[in-house]
Amino acid sequence: MQAITVENLSKTFRVKRKEKGMRGSIKAILHPQTEEIRAVNGVSFSVDEGEMLAFIGPNGAGKSTTIKMLTGILYPDGGRVEVLGIDPMKKRKQLAYRIGTVFGQKEQLWTHLTPYDNFRFFGAIYDLSERETEERIAELSERFELNAFIDTPVRNLSLGQRIRCEIVASLIHKPKVLFLDEPTIGLDPVVKENVRELIKQMNREEHTTIFLTSHDVGDIEKLCRRIIIVNDGQIVLDDSVERLKSHYQDKMAADVYARSQESGMAEKYEEAPNISLEEILVDIYRSEEDG
Amino acid sequence: MGKYGDKSVSMNIKGVRFRPWRKYAVIYRSVLMENLQYAANIAMGFFSYFVFIFIFIKLWGYMYRTPGELIAGYTKEQMIWYVMMTEMMFFGSNAASVAGEVARDIRSGNIAYLMNKPYHYTLYILSRYTGEWSIRLPMYALLAVVIGTVMVGPLPHFRLTAVPAMAVCVVLGLTIHAVFKLCISLFSFWIEDATPFQWLYDKLILVVGVMFPVEIFPKALQPLLKMTPIYTVCYGPAKLIVDFSPEKCLEILAAQILYLTVGCVLMSLIYRKGVRKLYVNGG
Ligand SMILES: Nc1ncnc2c1ncn2[C@@H]1O[C@H](COP(=O)(O)OP(=O)(O)O)[C@@H](O)[C@H]1O
Ligand SMILES: [Mg+2]
Repeated sequence: MQAITVENLSKTFRVKRKEKGMRGSIKAILHPQTEEIRAVNGVSFSVDEGEMLAFIGPNGAGKSTTIKMLTGILYPDGGRVEVLGIDPMKKRKQLAYRIGTVFGQKEQLWTHLTPYDNFRFFGAIYDLSERETEERIAELSERFELNAFIDTPVRNLSLGQRIRCEIVASLIHKPKVLFLDEPTIGLDPVVKENVRELIKQMNREEHTTIFLTSHDVGDIEKLCRRIIIVNDGQIVLDDSVERLKSHYQDKMAADVYARSQESGMAEKYEEAPNISLEEILVDIYRSEEDG
Repeated sequence: MGKYGDKSVSMNIKGVRFRPWRKYAVIYRSVLMENLQYAANIAMGFFSYFVFIFIFIKLWGYMYRTPGELIAGYTKEQMIWYVMMTEMMFFGSNAASVAGEVARDIRSGNIAYLMNKPYHYTLYILSRYTGEWSIRLPMYALLAVVIGTVMVGPLPHFRLTAVPAMAVCVVLGLTIHAVFKLCISLFSFWIEDATPFQWLYDKLILVVGVMFPVEIFPKALQPLLKMTPIYTVCYGPAKLIVDFSPEKCLEILAAQILYLTVGCVLMSLIYRKGVRKLYVNGG
């Protein structure tokens, strides 16, 4: 079964434009000029239930805009979206009960309350009974190792502790799909690793579909088998990490071989470099810019 | 209220599967917990309240020359208690959530993330607001009673049995006030900054309803003033406290229910239009 289906999804923002200086400001009042930004431009893909997908791309590629349309925060102006068989545009509230969202740069927790009180709050919001909420909190705080600080107000937590709580809060109602928009942003390597492990565990144990955006190559390598790379609102690649790597490995090898042939240094041929995913991504982004 | 402190609440809730209002009760309770930590901060406002009331005690002490004199139908005690009650409502309900917070949520785009939860944003805000005044208002009420008994003297003909009816009118008044302020805040969907409108509304209420009862103003203006929200938001409830009668109570309640209904309809209309714009333009 498919958890997410997206067909030809598009979103264009209209933003005001103003020329430089005072003259521009006055001109903007008299003749307001707008500019269109195609944030998402004809994107199609689907995600299977229980799959972990990394949705990556440079800043401004349209990742967050896509997540917003998938979760019903933003209306697309073209195309079709279905999440768990629900159209987010038409039944946003109904969908909200079945998905979880974590935005690395947005706080959903109430900072003056403790994580425990926050979780109780979210439990009630999602219509869980008191007992269900308690059981779920016990289970998740065990798994995410929150017990040391579950009674400390959120404002006094470290970023790493807070993001773990954010994720738990988004999992209280056992969502079928979890959307994470740059969840590891600003975390130190150890916490990053920890968060990844937890996401992986949720996927494994509760069969939660994971849709993740990130800049962090580590997130992708450690978590996801499949990646979609977007740039300028369009998909430039949709493949498994493994195939992408081996494809690049071959390409590099071929390049090196070709170059060594040209320069007549055939002995270098053997040393096809072991290319990292990071380098591959940089290469893809660069070639997109050139094209 | 910690992990084990609220057993009674949990037992009430247990067993009932579907209660759509429960989530708003929990929002309310969460704000209560949040704000209880800051009760000391709230008490800092006591000083301004005291200064304000002190000025009015002096002012009216000067205006009333003979004991038992009436101005606009009010005795001196009634006049001072009137301003103490309206100020109690004003200080006790400091509507930070309905005014600043909503405008900020809209401008920063944060509202999109709040709307994405299975509750209604406007009810969420109103629950928060209620949680806030539930702590502040009783604190100011206590202060008002202390200042009133010590410095002004008791109200003539005050009946303790009427207090519940008065409380209902005060609570409705605060809620209507919040709904109107929320409506103004929702303009932030279209305009850069709604604070000038908030300011205008606040000043209208303050000058015409809080500081002086409507009877002080020229006769010709009075019917007009009674049609504005002022009547239901502060003049009505405060007048009821200083000069209670069952007929007046019913009249005010009827007006309040009308205003609340109209306000809520207006609020949801503005909200729905605004949300549609948000969905198109993004946060
Ligand atoms: N609400 C908005 N109004 C106007 N432009 C926007 C809005 N949101 C995003 N954009 C633009 O759309 C593009 C994609 O943004 P976004 O989806 O946030 O990128 P990403 O998350 O991949 O960094 C960017 O050029 C951004 O400036
Ligand atoms: Mg983004």
